[in-house]
Amino acid sequence: MARRRRRSYREFIEADLDIMPLMNLFVVLIPMLLLSAVFVELSVLDMKLPSKDDNAEDDDKNVLSLSVTIEKERYVIAGRKLRASSIDRNQEGADDRLFTALAEIREGQSAQPGLTIVSPADARYQDIITVMDIGQEAGLGAVSLAGASTH
Amino acid sequence: MRRRRRTASKPMLLKMTSLMDILTVLLLFLLKSFVIEGEVVTPASGLNLPESTSETMPKESVVLAIIGNTVSLGDHVVARVVDASREGLLIDSLADALQSTRKRQIVLARRRGEEPQPAQLTIQGDKEMAFQLLQRVMYTCNQAGFDDISLAVLRSS
Repeated sequence: MARRRRRSYREFIEADLDIMPLMNLFVVLIPMLLLSAVFVELSVLDMKLPSKDDNAEDDDKNVLSLSVTIEKERYVIAGRKLRASSIDRNQEGADDRLFTALAEIREGQSAQPGLTIVSPADARYQDIITVMDIGQEAGLGAVSLAGASTH
Repeated sequence: MRRRRRTASKPMLLKMTSLMDILTVLLLFLLKSFVIEGEVVTPASGLNLPESTSETMPKESVVLAIIGNTVSLGDHVVARVVDASREGLLIDSLADALQSTRKRQIVLARRRGEEPQPAQLTIQGDKEMAFQLLQRVMYTCNQAGFDDISLAVLRSS
């Protein structure tokens, strides 16, 4: 009796698992998922340009007109009723200090001010995007771009 | 001879465990990166997009890629900017291409009996690109009636 029980246990251990249906499923699923997989995560930064026919200038004295100028060596923060300040870009943590400065300006305003990024002709695209990011994180509103005059 | 026959009669078992391990890991990885609606914007080849913390998803729009000194609309090169500083701000060939694209959008929408979608455009540019070229492209887009512009970026943590 004991001998028969031992044999049946051995038979149970040696039974092969039929993994062919699972393999078939994998062979179909993996190419399908490979086709729809996204390996590079893209996002966008939205900008609203002024309309072609919109020539009205913003002369409201209450508007802050906050701007950050990207110079080779520094960021210059300026605006109405604001004392212009600059941040050395070569020093470590320059981006953090720009964020702190913009967040402080945002806190002092009841309405969400917009931000104009003034860039020289040779400014790197990545630098402009970085300042746009910092402006958004600091809670500023619509971002617009402007070219710095060379003279 | 006798020994050989005995070996041949043994059933050959293929070891599938390691293959199953690989497939299981691959399946989990692919499931994680699975996007059900597909990609709206595909990055152009040869471009290093700038990195950003923005999490805004791209919208379905006209895609404009600036690769080196060429500007492509969809798959077609529509303009070559030899010297961005010498000419005016408007890029004529790009403006023409954008205007004809917009007209086509409006005609197609009317044929379907729908309102034409707002003029939206996504710009893909290299992170080392100078602002001067971007400024000219954006100015041209604005003049061609594309006011709603998105800048494509790589999402960074």
